[in-house]
Amino acid sequence: MSVLRVAPRTAVVLTLASAAALATFTWPFFVPAHPESTARTGEAPLVFIVMLPVLVALVLAELTSGGIDSKALAMLGVLAAVNAALRPLGAGTAGIETVFFLLVLAGRVFGPGFGFLLGATSLFASALLTAGVGPWLPFQMLCASWIGLGAGLLPARLRGRAEVAVLAGYGMLAAYGYGLLMNLWFWPFSVGADTQLSYVAGAPVLENLHRLALFTAVTSTFGWDTGRAITTAVAIVLAGPAVLAALRRAVRRAAFGAPVTFAAASDRPAAKVTGIPQSSSQAT
Amino acid sequence: MWWLPRGLHPGAWWLWALGLATAASHTTNPLPLALLVAVAGRVLGRRRGDAPWALAFRMYVWLGAVIVTMRVVFRIVFGGGQGDHILVRLPEIPLPAWAAGIRLFGPVAAEQILGGFYDGLRLATMLICLGAANALANPKRLLKAVPGALYAIGTAVVVALSVAPQLVESVLRVRRARRLRGASARGMRALRGIALPVLADALDRSLALAAAMDSRGYGRTAAVPAGQRTVTGALVLGGLVGVCAGTYGLLDTAAPGYLGLPMLLAGLTAAVTGMLLAGRRVRRSRYRPDRWRPAELLVAGCGVAAAALTMLAGSVDPELLYPPVSPLTWPQLTPLMLLAVGVAAAPAWLAPPPPPTVSAGRPPAVDRPIPVTDVPADGVRAARASTPGDRP
Amino acid sequence: MITFDRVTVHYAEGGPPPLRDVTFRVEEGELCLVAGRTGAGKSTLLRAINGLVPHFTGGTLHGAVTVDGRDTRTHPPRDLADVVGVVGQDPLAGFVTDTVEEELAYGMEQLALPPAVMRKRVEETLDLLGIADLRDRPLRTLSGGQQQRVAIGAVLTAHPRVLVLDEPTSALDPTAAEDVLATVTRLVHDLGVTVVLAEHRLERVLQYADRLLYLPGDGHVHDGTPATGLAHIDIAPPLIELGRLAGWTPLPLSVRDARRRASDLRHRLAGVAPPPVPAGADTGPTLTARKIVVRYPGTVAVAGVDLDLRAGRVVALMGRNGSGKSSLLWAVQGSGPRHGGTVAVTGPKGTVDPKALPAGQARRHVGLVPQDSGDLLYLETVDAECAQADRETGVPAGTCRALVDQLVPGLPGDRHPRDLSEGQRLALALAVQLTAAPPVVLLDEPTRGLDYHAKRQFTAVARMLAGSGRAVVVATHDVELVATLADRVIVMAEGEIVSDGTTAEVMLASPAFAPQVAKVLAPAPWLTVEQVAAALDETRAPA
Repeated sequence: MSVLRVAPRTAVVLTLASAAALATFTWPFFVPAHPESTARTGEAPLVFIVMLPVLVALVLAELTSGGIDSKALAMLGVLAAVNAALRPLGAGTAGIETVFFLLVLAGRVFGPGFGFLLGATSLFASALLTAGVGPWLPFQMLCASWIGLGAGLLPARLRGRAEVAVLAGYGMLAAYGYGLLMNLWFWPFSVGADTQLSYVAGAPVLENLHRLALFTAVTSTFGWDTGRAITTAVAIVLAGPAVLAALRRAVRRAAFGAPVTFAAASDRPAAKVTGIPQSSSQAT
Repeated sequence: MWWLPRGLHPGAWWLWALGLATAASHTTNPLPLALLVAVAGRVLGRRRGDAPWALAFRMYVWLGAVIVTMRVVFRIVFGGGQGDHILVRLPEIPLPAWAAGIRLFGPVAAEQILGGFYDGLRLATMLICLGAANALANPKRLLKAVPGALYAIGTAVVVALSVAPQLVESVLRVRRARRLRGASARGMRALRGIALPVLADALDRSLALAAAMDSRGYGRTAAVPAGQRTVTGALVLGGLVGVCAGTYGLLDTAAPGYLGLPMLLAGLTAAVTGMLLAGRRVRRSRYRPDRWRPAELLVAGCGVAAAALTMLAGSVDPELLYPPVSPLTWPQLTPLMLLAVGVAAAPAWLAPPPPPTVSAGRPPAVDRPIPVTDVPADGVRAARASTPGDRP
Repeated sequence: MITFDRVTVHYAEGGPPPLRDVTFRVEEGELCLVAGRTGAGKSTLLRAINGLVPHFTGGTLHGAVTVDGRDTRTHPPRDLADVVGVVGQDPLAGFVTDTVEEELAYGMEQLALPPAVMRKRVEETLDLLGIADLRDRPLRTLSGGQQQRVAIGAVLTAHPRVLVLDEPTSALDPTAAEDVLATVTRLVHDLGVTVVLAEHRLERVLQYADRLLYLPGDGHVHDGTPATGLAHIDIAPPLIELGRLAGWTPLPLSVRDARRRASDLRHRLAGVAPPPVPAGADTGPTLTARKIVVRYPGTVAVAGVDLDLRAGRVVALMGRNGSGKSSLLWAVQGSGPRHGGTVAVTGPKGTVDPKALPAGQARRHVGLVPQDSGDLLYLETVDAECAQADRETGVPAGTCRALVDQLVPGLPGDRHPRDLSEGQRLALALAVQLTAAPPVVLLDEPTRGLDYHAKRQFTAVARMLAGSGRAVVVATHDVELVATLADRVIVMAEGEIVSDGTTAEVMLASPAFAPQVAKVLAPAPWLTVEQVAAALDETRAPA
């Protein structure tokens, strides 16, 4: 069941923007080494920092351009609030990340489009609440959005234990992927140029990947990412079935897309069946 | 001053801070960088309100300190020891081949540490400037200024911001109730017993909220002619194709020059135009909109001018803005740099003072005491403290 | 103004139609009261007025609803926002923004009114509802009554011609409820807005209503004037019941009405005394609390209170919000903070202090049902909750379910606890707590949001608990409940006990706590319709 319909045009916009956005994370692998080209590529990171918020805004605008239903919007706001309220719970303690758990489950129940929006709004709201707005925010938003989107694209037919198992596995993968992408983004900024862990412009992709892996290991983000992956998976296994049930109940109660029909008054099956006398309900 | 106290347009503070950050990004000279940090702190001291988000600045200063330390430590551990002035020789630890032949420690040169310090300080200064913007600009007012196309997302975030503190209260309430059933209120097991009632409550609430929004006119849109829809679609799609091509051009030197930055900018412009056009179908007005008035222009202008002056200083004598670490030289200040810092600091006096704050905890003048005092247990303090912006 | 023309509503999930062939008109400027039990279709009727049924809820609407000439078939709720303002039960759940001023402006922003108009209307509305000094306050720090007034203000700024209020007071305590109802009646008189109001505190609004729509629960609607419409209503406020008992026609709509008619009744009752409170065997207190102190930063919530609870007695704990009632209950139970004093519960194995026990043991001595009884429930079905309650208490399976059946017979086991009515949910939460068989049962504001029917049920349940030898405490604002239920009344203010005595002593002593019957029959010491009925039977019997 998908709460938010993704039109073909929206899907194309989403794909194009994601492709361009991916480059904003992975550019250290592709930067050429020619000294004459640094004039052109030297500004690349700054250009990307300006470009990505615009891309995120474009996709968000495109996803909601059909006029998002008030029920989906309220659900989005409230779930983003739950996420934003959950997030600080884990922030202090090593590696406990409580955002992905609900994001994965909600993406699963409400569909890919909604999952994408939820990822972005959750992190944005959380950043506003903790005054953590900065150039990293659009990158985090996009990563979280991809996670929500991916959860919505998992095979629809799974139910029961298999579903929870797949979601837990996906949650784990997503948590690692998020950690890796955010490391990749922060890598050039955090170590600076001339250390043995810094990226080398023009070096083969594999060599730079190696250096990234070392950087990740050294900054102990492996520990963080593992903690994040494990807590996400454990939370999905433990609370997943109940949360899925609660979310599905919400979908049912909200009656998304329930048919709205009008009929003439003469068409009164109920009255015909029970034969209620006309006068009993009227005074005028 | 001649301004009446009022909150400034959040965009003005952000432009000012981004100007400062740009200025910082164009120098590694620790003197102007330190001055810029001082400027951010001074402006903050004079012009921030006492809203919760205004307290975030301290966090950014800490983060900046961490970055500087990390840079220096990285240089010591992984540096590789380029430089003539060796301060100390640490024992070398070569790592096995799988670690790309990296060796740890070794000689530590003054140039190396100084380079790390300069680099780190530049990044930290940029970060602290952003922190100043976070603390000075009211995030909710920022949301009110989103363009029409992002209106739905903006509303979702507004809802999230108002509901989140209520959820924190309801977590505390449910946690207390768990004890009444004899269950423990800690650990993973309790997560279910606490998270589920809160989630279910929140979901039910969302339905009531949606009904309220519908009845109050949410979702009224203006009719958009089919032609305009085609145009906006073409602009957005075409623009994005341009962005992809531009990104490729920027990273691949073999690509023709026009495929780089120019293509990227053209693509972004087209796509954004499409988005803004699409936003015109949202028909609504703003209550007490933030306007760009002279004070806003002045503050934003100070930021832009600081950035421009630094760039100018850089083109006049680049060595002074990027003081070389080898040979070691004392960093120097030029009049242009001082002027840039002075301009950056001007909003501390030129911007209107923040409005006299109406504290959230002010007891109501009429009516009975607020019922939250009837809430037993530890909920009260947390409920009061969990205003948006706090880190619970 | 509002026309229902042969309206029948079917929801998509099936079930009997909540509205069947309903036809009525509400004229401009009328105050129309909608009455009926929980679940009788009141909300469906109200939501059909602005098209939420079926545009929002899904389903089929037969017939036609028109408001101010606009047909809901062609006008979804958003296009009726400038004509119909809707206020729901829980004001906080319906707020979009988080400060008073922004909330007042939200609806106008959607209608794309120019900023200057918005500014003017916000100021007017702040004054109209007397909330000008709250303008910058975050909504969630307001009291319930203030929140509901803001919610009303937030729809009024769009200048609707019809105001629809769906049980606006059901989530509020009586004092806040009165504030809100006073505001509504003032709006009717001052602004001439057409108001459709669903409300179970009939006695507060009947006297102002021009029309009463009564929903018996079978999908039909009885339309009439308040006095004639009351004849159909099965369970009514004590005032009406007294009127029926005394055979007054038309029925009195206010205490003033009733009092002017009551001289005859007072005369008939002159020689009779209300039945004395059954003394019961005094076995010494089951729970003894001494010098209880609870402090919060900046305030003392409970300031050295002594409390004795006896088996088989119902004690009512009264007092305004913030007087320390809840804090006292939580401190006595042991789950809340307690900064001083002692609690001793007499059990089979001597006396214990529940605070000293682990939470699982404490609830075997003192059971507490908190204000939001739903907080205790977290599973998907009634049966799962019951099974869990059996498990965590270590009693034979089925114990909790048996208690549920005793309290509310016929509760479907596969129902989600959140889909239950307020009364059923309260009963389920109570059953969960009773599974541990505590000799002392504390209930915090149990009747908030209950209609007369559910309240009567609750009264029976509470009496049964006392009858089975438990000590029961009910913290409440509801004087009518206290009059029919309590043996003893304790009134708290600022953390101290200011009044403690039998129900008759306390309630007859002050007009603020006097129930309707007492107000009508004063100075004679009658508290409830039951007492009067019994006495009348007695006077009639010898004759």
